[in-house]
Amino acid sequence: MVLTNQFKLPTEEELTVPELNVTAAALATGAFHLGKYCEEPCKEFILCRDELGDPRKCLDEGKKVTSCGIEFFKKVKKSCLAEFTQYQKCLISSSSNFEYGPCRKTQEVFNECVKAHIGIDRPRPTYFCEPKIHDSKRPAPALPQYPKYDDATPGLPQNYPKDKISTESTQGVFDGNI
Amino acid sequence: MSSVARLQDLPPPGGFGKIHYEKVPHKSFFNGKWIAITFGISYALGIAGYLASVNIIKRQRIETQSARNAIQPFLLAERDRQLLLQMRKNRDAEAELMKDVEGWEVGTLFGTPVYNTVGENEWIGYRPNSYYAHADPDRRLDYEGFSLYV
Repeated sequence: MVLTNQFKLPTEEELTVPELNVTAAALATGAFHLGKYCEEPCKEFILCRDELGDPRKCLDEGKKVTSCGIEFFKKVKKSCLAEFTQYQKCLISSSSNFEYGPCRKTQEVFNECVKAHIGIDRPRPTYFCEPKIHDSKRPAPALPQYPKYDDATPGLPQNYPKDKISTESTQGVFDGNI
Repeated sequence: MSSVARLQDLPPPGGFGKIHYEKVPHKSFFNGKWIAITFGISYALGIAGYLASVNIIKRQRIETQSARNAIQPFLLAERDRQLLLQMRKNRDAEAELMKDVEGWEVGTLFGTPVYNTVGENEWIGYRPNSYYAHADPDRRLDYEGFSLYV
C-alpha cells in the first residue's frame, strides 16, 4: 500500500535480461578474476547506487555488470573449464564457507590458465577490500538544498573588539573577571 | 559377700599415642622457582602460538571478505531488477484486488497518502512486509529464516 500510480516503475521488458545463472560456488571460485575483469562496470554501478540511492536510476549500469559477468564465465567455460571445475571442487569440499587457504595448488593451476587464455592476473588477496578512486563520466548529483530562514540568530559584527569575546577558559562562574 | 578384684580404667600398655596438633604439609613436587619457570614458558608458548595463528586467520578473513566484495555488484544488480519487478507485480495485484471497492486509490488509504512529506516519485525503499503482501505468508517466514525445513 505504499506504491501509488504516480510512482514510476520500469516495465517488465526493461527488467528482463539474461541473468548470471551460476551457483554460489562458481561465483566464489571465479570471484577474484571476475571482479578484476569487470572492474570498471562494477565501480560505475556501485558508485551510481551509492550516490543516487535509487535502483531505478542505475538499471543500465547494472545490466552492464551482469552482461560483463556472463561474458567472463563464457570465456572461462570455453578455455579453462577443467581447471575451473577442479578448483571449484576443492573449494566446496575443503570448507563450509569457500575459504581459499586450503586450495592454493588448484588455484595456481586455474590462475595460469586464466592468465594464458583471458589475459588477467589474479589480484592480491586484499585488492577488493581496498578503497578505490573512480572517475565517472556521469555528472555528480546536486547537493541537498537546505532552506534559509530570516530569523536565524545573527552573528557578532565584524569589528567587534576581541577582548570582549569570552573565551572557553573564562566562561562560566568567573564571567571573564578573574 | 566375696571380695572381687577391682580393675581401674587405665591406658593401654605402653601408653596413649601422641596427639598430632601440628600442620601436616602435603608432599611437594615443585617449589616456587619451578612453578614460575613453567608458568613463564607456557605463557610464552601460548603468546607465540596466538601471534602465529592470528595473522593467518586475519588474512583468511580478509581474502574471503575480498571475494565477497568482488561479487557484490553482480548480486546487487540482480536483486534490484527482481525487486522492481515484484514492486510492479504488487501494485498490479493491489489494483486488481481492490477494483470493486469504491473510492479506493492504489497506494493510498481512500486518497490519504502514507507519507505526507515524501514526493510522489521519490525512492524511500520497500519493506519486506510490502514485498510479501500478496504472497503466501510462509514465503515471508522463509525470508526471515524461521521456516521449518520439512
